[in-house]
Amino acid sequence: MKIIEIKNLHKVYNGSSVSVHAVNGINMSVEEGEFTAIVGPSGSGKTTLLNVIGGLDDATEGSVEIDGVKINDLSSRKLTDFRMKNIGFVFQAYNLIPVLTAKENVEFIMHLQGRKKADRDARTSELLKAVGLGEMMDRRPSKLSGGQQQRVAVARALASKPKFVLADEPTANLDSHSTENLLDIMEQLNKEEKITFLFSTHDQRVVNKARRVITIEDGKIISDERK
Amino acid sequence: MILSIAWRNVWRSKTRSIVMIAAIALGLFAGIFMMAFMNGMYNSRIESATKSELSHIQVHAPGFLDNTESELFIPDGFALAEKIAALDSVEAASPRLIAEPFIMAAHGTGGGKMLGIDPEKEKQVTDIWEHLVDGTYLEKTSRMPPVLVGKKLADKLRLKVGTKINVQLVDFNGDLSSKGYRVAGIYKTVNTGFDEMHLFVNINDLQSQIGIQPDAVHEIAILLKDNSYAPLVKPSVQKIAKALDVQTWKELSPEMSLITDSMDQYMYIFILIILFALCFGIINTMLMAVLERVKEIGMLMAVGMNNRKIFNMIILESIMLTLTGGVVGILLGIGISRIFENHPINLSAFAQGLEQYGMSTEIATVFPSHSLGILIALVVLTGLISAIYPARKALKLNPAEATRTD
Repeated sequence: MKIIEIKNLHKVYNGSSVSVHAVNGINMSVEEGEFTAIVGPSGSGKTTLLNVIGGLDDATEGSVEIDGVKINDLSSRKLTDFRMKNIGFVFQAYNLIPVLTAKENVEFIMHLQGRKKADRDARTSELLKAVGLGEMMDRRPSKLSGGQQQRVAVARALASKPKFVLADEPTANLDSHSTENLLDIMEQLNKEEKITFLFSTHDQRVVNKARRVITIEDGKIISDERK
Repeated sequence: MILSIAWRNVWRSKTRSIVMIAAIALGLFAGIFMMAFMNGMYNSRIESATKSELSHIQVHAPGFLDNTESELFIPDGFALAEKIAALDSVEAASPRLIAEPFIMAAHGTGGGKMLGIDPEKEKQVTDIWEHLVDGTYLEKTSRMPPVLVGKKLADKLRLKVGTKINVQLVDFNGDLSSKGYRVAGIYKTVNTGFDEMHLFVNINDLQSQIGIQPDAVHEIAILLKDNSYAPLVKPSVQKIAKALDVQTWKELSPEMSLITDSMDQYMYIFILIILFALCFGIINTMLMAVLERVKEIGMLMAVGMNNRKIFNMIILESIMLTLTGGVVGILLGIGISRIFENHPINLSAFAQGLEQYGMSTEIATVFPSHSLGILIALVVLTGLISAIYPARKALKLNPAEATRTD
């Protein structure tokens, strides 16, 4: 079942003197349960593609359909709500809320969704245990290592039970041990809970784990390989 | 949870928040203390005016206040005063005769207002007897009728206890009447203007000099159990007084009424100016708080926190910051005002100026407790207004760019 379907996607950034065609006519789709890496050199358009798929940026042309919903047509308010219910985000720099504990960071999105406390508590505990942080729930981000913070970010991304997770260079700031650990966790979640992951990455270790690798250059897909 | 995040965000940059909270607290403390001081000052003026001069309600014959003529009198005034004194909420009523004489003494002459009073009844209404600095309270010590003069007039005419003065006035028949009085006592209130102008004699002595009928009075001064009762008691007094003029102290002294009625407004304007100045500091603090958290706000937008919730979070943060400073400032202001309420501030260095305006040299600060709710509302409003610009700035962020900001 297709979760993401992209048709003839273009994204052009108009600067004062030059225009940059960051995404140039991309057509692709992602099936439920895929573990896909988007690779390419810096400036190839990986992050822009992910931002447009995640509804964080508008497409200049073309369409993005998520689970049958054309997100280009949604109002800003509906799009925000759609993101909250359907998409999980993992950022390169973790982007946790420093004044909240690991537990509260994970719980926060469920709070935005208006879920009941008992439900929130159970899900938070389940997710933090799944990422190996069951004993560190009450620590604030400043008391966690980079790898641990990114694992909290993965738990947060899954808290809302999204249709898929977008991870923008999730291992870029991690050492090799933390990277292996994080990738194992994400792979396990993908296999056991059928969670769809879509990464943008430079990291060969991520590419090695991915079951599908899409390579883009100058905003165009130059290869799409399934393992 | 948004409340909790907003509160924790306030303490994210402790030093910055503490500096801002201290500024808000000091500003409000200064404003509240000033408010309590001014209130105390005007209370002292009102108290001195009502206790020494006006009482709370006065009754006159129609037209008497516009034209102080002896023939504009209240017939059977003593009986009317007794009836009024029997009303609920009325503490006492004192009948008075009033004349505007020309005073001649060995070392000078002057004008003034002579009040013929029943010393015992007047004692229950005004506190002139408590302000005696020399002599006695209208006790007859010689063949001549006694007169009580103010210190200022005594100094001006070089009068001492025992000095004789000659009082000339137009009597009931329109003839010039002259009578000698001996100074029995000298009083000094906090109002030098009053002291210079008012002389007190026994009502019988003035009645015989004016030649008016024995039961006639020009004024009935009424003291109530509380000055705020005046508008409530006035209709009951009017019912007894029928066609006579009945006026509360605010109607008798419009300038004092203006002070009390506009005091609150002046004070709020003063507080508003302080809060307006603080607004810029709060805007700056909140703007820094937003600009430092671009990445985090971008993440919140990305994961589905809508604009309304982000706006509310920043507004709440600003209100919490302002309210923390506000509560500290208000408590400090009330606390210090309470101390000086029990231990009045001594301003005897400025006695001359203050006494000219009828103000005491000891000011007991009074915090107007009815203003507390309005003050808190103003503080909250300041926090809210100050956060609008930073919050709008946050809402303009593009989540895609913001999440990647360094």
